[in-house]
Amino acid sequence: MVDASTFARVIINKYPEVSSKPLIGNKVELLVPKEKIHDIVSMIDENLSDALPEAAFGIDLEDDKYEVIYLLWSHESKLLCQLRVALEGENPEIETVSDIFPGFEWHERETSEMFGIIFKNHPDMRPLLLPDELVGKYPMRKRFVTDRSRVDETGLSTPRPRPASGGDSS
Amino acid sequence: MKPDILDEASEIWFGPQHVSAHGWASKLTLVGDYIVECDPNAGYFHRSAEKCLEFRNFRQGSMILERMCLVEAFIAEYPYVGAVEKLADLEIPERAKIMRTIMIEFNRIHSFQFWWGQIAGELGLFAMLLWPWVDREYTLDAFEELTGSRHSVSYNTPGGVKYDFTPKFLEKMDIALNRLEERLPVFNDMLQGSPTFRLRTEGVGQYTAKQAIKWGLSGPNIKACGIPMDLRKDDPDPNLAYDLIDWEVPVTENPEHPGECDAYDRLIQRFKEIDTSLNIIRQLLPLVPEGEIIDPKARAKANRLPEGEAYGRIEGSRGITTVWLKTLEKSQTPYRAKIRGPCFASYYALKHIVPGSRFADFPAIFGSLDPYPGWWDR
Repeated sequence: MVDASTFARVIINKYPEVSSKPLIGNKVELLVPKEKIHDIVSMIDENLSDALPEAAFGIDLEDDKYEVIYLLWSHESKLLCQLRVALEGENPEIETVSDIFPGFEWHERETSEMFGIIFKNHPDMRPLLLPDELVGKYPMRKRFVTDRSRVDETGLSTPRPRPASGGDSS
Repeated sequence: MKPDILDEASEIWFGPQHVSAHGWASKLTLVGDYIVECDPNAGYFHRSAEKCLEFRNFRQGSMILERMCLVEAFIAEYPYVGAVEKLADLEIPERAKIMRTIMIEFNRIHSFQFWWGQIAGELGLFAMLLWPWVDREYTLDAFEELTGSRHSVSYNTPGGVKYDFTPKFLEKMDIALNRLEERLPVFNDMLQGSPTFRLRTEGVGQYTAKQAIKWGLSGPNIKACGIPMDLRKDDPDPNLAYDLIDWEVPVTENPEHPGECDAYDRLIQRFKEIDTSLNIIRQLLPLVPEGEIIDPKARAKANRLPEGEAYGRIEGSRGITTVWLKTLEKSQTPYRAKIRGPCFASYYALKHIVPGSRFADFPAIFGSLDPYPGWWDR
């Protein structure tokens, strides 16, 4: 049984560059510098023997700023740990953690194709969900416009115009 | 020079046209009829739900969520509603709290009835496909009576629920539950007494609890290894009523392989889940108090949310189901919504579980993990 604040203190003692923020309940958020993500995740793996890789995903903060969030849940300690990594650049890079938690492999694949974040040393960086036409367009970025103006770009056929009101439907 | 076994290998696509592969396809590499490699493919069902959520307001969002998994719509829409309620700081009337919990458990039963028919069909036992699906119709009748829809129910909404229990609905629910209780022993006999069923599932698709946790499996797939991991007990949502009653997390421990589970254990586990849900509903029904079903100010409060982040979580019938929300100041739509479907992990895990088994066992392994394409494609 590990308490969230004790758990955060153990990590910060070893890695002083990490800072923590308590959340409601037995939950804690750790702000991790991107160079340290692999070390921190392997330390969590050692400290919480039953940590479950719940989710990893990106957030686009616009102006080439991104965040990657990792969520880990321990059933024995009833502890939720949220890791937040800030990234910058057109195609930011971060170390993969799928060698420690294989469960993150697909989450990283999805984040990569949706946000253009590169996960270094990832075993399998093929696109996961997107159709071929949208690969490399990073649709979850805020600058990806979703109106009809992009229909040509996708290579999909243009939708038929709606019948004028008054009804000349076929 | 040693002969390379992979020289003899052939590749075969299981799905997307295969009858039991509804919306997914996996590439299998076979040597003889042994699978040496499995490459699950996702994306056949991708509707970009997370992007869509960024353009819907907080009351509309739950309707996108329920389309992720229509057989567990009451459950699927809940994490989003829960996250919005946390951000808007809404008070839920006691009546709505208990009604929600009842419907979520009723829906869990429906989800297992659906799964039970599906796996029987996949294993080629057609009577077992049709029988639970006849019972399932009674459950769907009750859903229709309450919400007007069999599948896309949109029942939970920020601040409470949309439709009140009527005497006719309670009667229909009673019919469905009584019928289920009557028939459960029959289904149990069919499962445990059928040599075909046992031969096809015992010792098939085995994994240990430690592996399962690393892959991210949750729900019945991990409870079948004997670990009582259940968010209803571990991290109960404040707006659900699981703490009012007395119940235990069901687990399956097979003395032949402790800490491990095979396809058969996972089937047994899901039957235990049905019993637990029945128990919860039976205990909660007399507790429903009189009163409002929705906070009258909820509509206005959920219209614009303050800046913040919230994490809504629920134990779905397939495992941990969550929505992570980020909002900006006075926003009408989420800035980012992340959906974590339980089957994202179980479909991924096929890659590790399947190699080494026979080709004919593939549907048994797949069916016993109970993945639903909507949850990984979103």
